[in-house]
Amino acid sequence: MKRIGLHKSPLFLKIIFVVSVAIIFFIGGITFKHITVLKKSSAYVSNSYEVNIELERLMSCIKDAETGQRGYLLSKDKKFLIPYQNSGSLIKKSHQRISELTSNSRTQQNNLKTLQYHINKRLNYLSKNLYLVQHEKYSEDELEYNLITGQKSMDSIRLRIEDMIITQKVLLKNRQKDYDSTMNYTPLLIYLTLIITLILITIAFVKMNRDLILLKNTIHTLTVEIEANKLSEIVGNFGSWKLDIETNTYTFSDNEYRLLGCEPQSFEASKEGFLKFIHPDDLEFVKESANNAVMNDSRVPFMYRVIRKDGEVRYFKDMGQVVSFASQNKTYIGTTRDITSEIDDKITTEERNRELESNNKELSAFNYIASHDLQEPLRKIETFISRLISKDHDNISTSGQQYIASIQKSANRMRVLIEDLLQFSRTNKAEKTFQLSNLNCLLDNAKQELAQTIEEKKAVLTSSVLPSLSIIPFQIQQLFINLIGNSLKYSKANEAPSISINYSIIVANEEEFLPDTYHEYHKITVEDNGIGFDQEYAKNIFVLFNRLHNKNEYQGTGIGLAICKKIVENHKGFIFAKGVLHEGSTFIIYLPVEQKQA
Amino acid sequence: MNTDFINICLADDDEDDRLFFTDAFDELRINTKVSTFNDGVELMNYLNNEDSILPNVLFLDLNMPKKNGVECLLEIKQNEKFSDIAIAIYSTSSSEEHIEETFINGANIYIKKPNDFEKLKKILSEVVTLNWQYHTSGLNKDNFLMRM
Repeated sequence: MKRIGLHKSPLFLKIIFVVSVAIIFFIGGITFKHITVLKKSSAYVSNSYEVNIELERLMSCIKDAETGQRGYLLSKDKKFLIPYQNSGSLIKKSHQRISELTSNSRTQQNNLKTLQYHINKRLNYLSKNLYLVQHEKYSEDELEYNLITGQKSMDSIRLRIEDMIITQKVLLKNRQKDYDSTMNYTPLLIYLTLIITLILITIAFVKMNRDLILLKNTIHTLTVEIEANKLSEIVGNFGSWKLDIETNTYTFSDNEYRLLGCEPQSFEASKEGFLKFIHPDDLEFVKESANNAVMNDSRVPFMYRVIRKDGEVRYFKDMGQVVSFASQNKTYIGTTRDITSEIDDKITTEERNRELESNNKELSAFNYIASHDLQEPLRKIETFISRLISKDHDNISTSGQQYIASIQKSANRMRVLIEDLLQFSRTNKAEKTFQLSNLNCLLDNAKQELAQTIEEKKAVLTSSVLPSLSIIPFQIQQLFINLIGNSLKYSKANEAPSISINYSIIVANEEEFLPDTYHEYHKITVEDNGIGFDQEYAKNIFVLFNRLHNKNEYQGTGIGLAICKKIVENHKGFIFAKGVLHEGSTFIIYLPVEQKQA
Repeated sequence: MNTDFINICLADDDEDDRLFFTDAFDELRINTKVSTFNDGVELMNYLNNEDSILPNVLFLDLNMPKKNGVECLLEIKQNEKFSDIAIAIYSTSSSEEHIEETFINGANIYIKKPNDFEKLKKILSEVVTLNWQYHTSGLNKDNFLMRM
C-alpha cells in the first residue's frame, strides 16, 4: 500500500511542474505582448505629437512667408523676402515629414493632400502678388483680390491643419481605447494565473512534504527491519544471499560471512568466493543444486558441508526463491542455515536410539530367561515333589510330609510370580495391533480360562451385551481374566461370588473420575460382592507388587491389577476402583470412543 | 514285531525331562515304544537312517544344543518321507513367539511341559491317543496349544 502511495506522488509532481512551466510561459507571452502594445502606443503618442508639431511648423512657415511678403510689400525692402524665399524648402521638408509620419493613416494622407493643394494655392497667390509688385504692373483691385483670395486659402489651410490635428487626436484616442481595453484584462489575468500557480506550488509543496515524512518513516521502519533481520540471522544462525540474475552480481549478508568464520564483508561476494569454502566432496553437488535452484526456481532445500576459515566442518542447508520486483529485475534470494547442531542432535538421538534398542534386546533376552530358563528348574522341583508325594508319601515322616507340602506351596507361589511378571513385561512391550474385536467373545474366552475356579467357587457371572471395539484383543482378554480372577480371589468365604459386568457409553463430564470434557467413553464395570476394600487404598491397588492383604490370607502377587492398569493405558483409557469394606468392589474401565491408534 | 505299538520319539537335551517322559509312559498302560535323543543332530541322524522305524508321534524340545527344535521341524517338514509323523512341540516356554513360529512351520500340537507328574501323564496319554487326522484337519491357532 505504501509503495503505491509513493509511486503515485512523482506523477502528480510532474503534472504540477508541467502546468507551472506552461503558466510561466503563458504569463511571459502575455507580458511580452503587452509590452509590445505599450511600446507601440507610446510610439503612436510621440508620433501624434510630432505630427502636431510639424503641422504647427508648417503653419508658421506659411505664416512667416506671408508676414515676410507683407513686410516687403509695405517697405519694399528685399530683406523681408528672405523667410518667403526660405519657406519653399521648409514647407517641402515639413510636408515630407508629415507624410512620413502619417503614412499608416489614409484619412491623414487624404487630408495632407488637400492641405498640400491649399498650401500650393496660397503660395501661388503669394508669388503672383510678389511678381505683380516687383514688376509694378499691378492694379490695386487685382492685388486686393489676390490678397483676399490668399487670405481665404490661408483660412482653409488653418482649417485643414486643425482638422488634421483633430483627426490625429481621434486616432490617438482610438488607439488609447484599444490599448486600455487590452490592458484592463491583463492584470486580472496575470493575477489569477499567478494565484493558481501559487496554489499549485503550495499543493506540490504540501504533497512533497508529506511524501518526505512518509519516506522518512519508511526509511526508519526499513532500518529497524534491517537491524531486526541482522539480529535474527545471528540468533537463528542463518545468513542470506542475493543474486541479481540480470547482472549476475552477488550480495552476502553479514551473517553469511560469520557462518563461514569470516569478518562481515571481508571478501567480495561472488560464487567463487563462496565455493572455495565448500567441502570438496560436496562441491559438485552444491554447484548443481545451486544452479537448479536459480535456473528452475526449485524450492527444494539442499544440504552440504563447508570448511570454515578456522578449519571446522559445518553442515549448511540452503533454500531460496526467485523474486521479481516492479522493475522486472529478477533476483534470487537464498538463505543459508547452519544446521550442524541439529545434525549433531540427530546423531546423538540416533545413538540413544541404538542404545535403547540394545537395551530392549537385553530386556527381551531377560524375558526369555524368565520365561524359559528360570521356569525350567522350578518346574522340575515341582515335578519331583509331585512324584515324591505320589510314590513315597507313606514312607515319609509326618514332619517330612509337612515340609514337602511347604516346599510345594513355595515353589507354586514362585511359579505364579514368574508367570505374572512375565505377563506384566509382555503387556509393556507387546506389539500393539489394534483390531476390531467383539468384547463378548473375549469375555467368554476369559470365563473359559477361569472355568475351573468359577466352578469351584460356584460363582455367578452376569454380563450385559458388550460392543465390538478396536482394541488389542489378547490384552483386553487378559484384562477380563485379571479382573474376574481378582473378584473370585477376594470373595467372601461364606458367600458364593456374584460378579456382574456392565457396559454403557458415557460423556466424560458426567462421571466423577473423569475430567470435565465432552469426550465420549465406553464404560465397562466389573462389580462383585466380595470382601471389598477401604476406599483409602483405591489407588494403591494398581501399583506393582502392592497388596492389601497378607499372602497367607489371600494368594496373589500384586501384579494382576498393575497389568490391568497397563492394558487400559495402552488403550488410552482409565481404570478406577471403588470399594466398600465387607460389601464388595467395583472396577470401572473407561475406553475412549475415538481410539487413537498408537 | 507287534504292529500295535505306537512308536514315539523324544528329542530333549535335559536328562530329567527325558526321565519324566519315559517314566510317564512306563506308568501309562498304553502300548508304546519310546526312543529318546539328546539333541537335534542325534534325532535327525536316526530319522535319516534307512533302517530306522519312523515314529508315529515325535516330541520336540525347542531349546537344544547343536540343532534346536525349530531347525529339526523345518528339516522334517521339507522331507516327503516324514509327512506321516505327527509333531508335538514339547517346551518349557509358552511364549507367543514360539507358539506362532512352530505353528507356522507346521507342527501339529504345542505342549507346555507341566509341573506336575500326574498332569504330564494325562497330557501324554491324550496326545498319543489323539486322532491326528481329525485334529490336523481342524487345526487352528487356538487349539494348537494343548490346554489341560
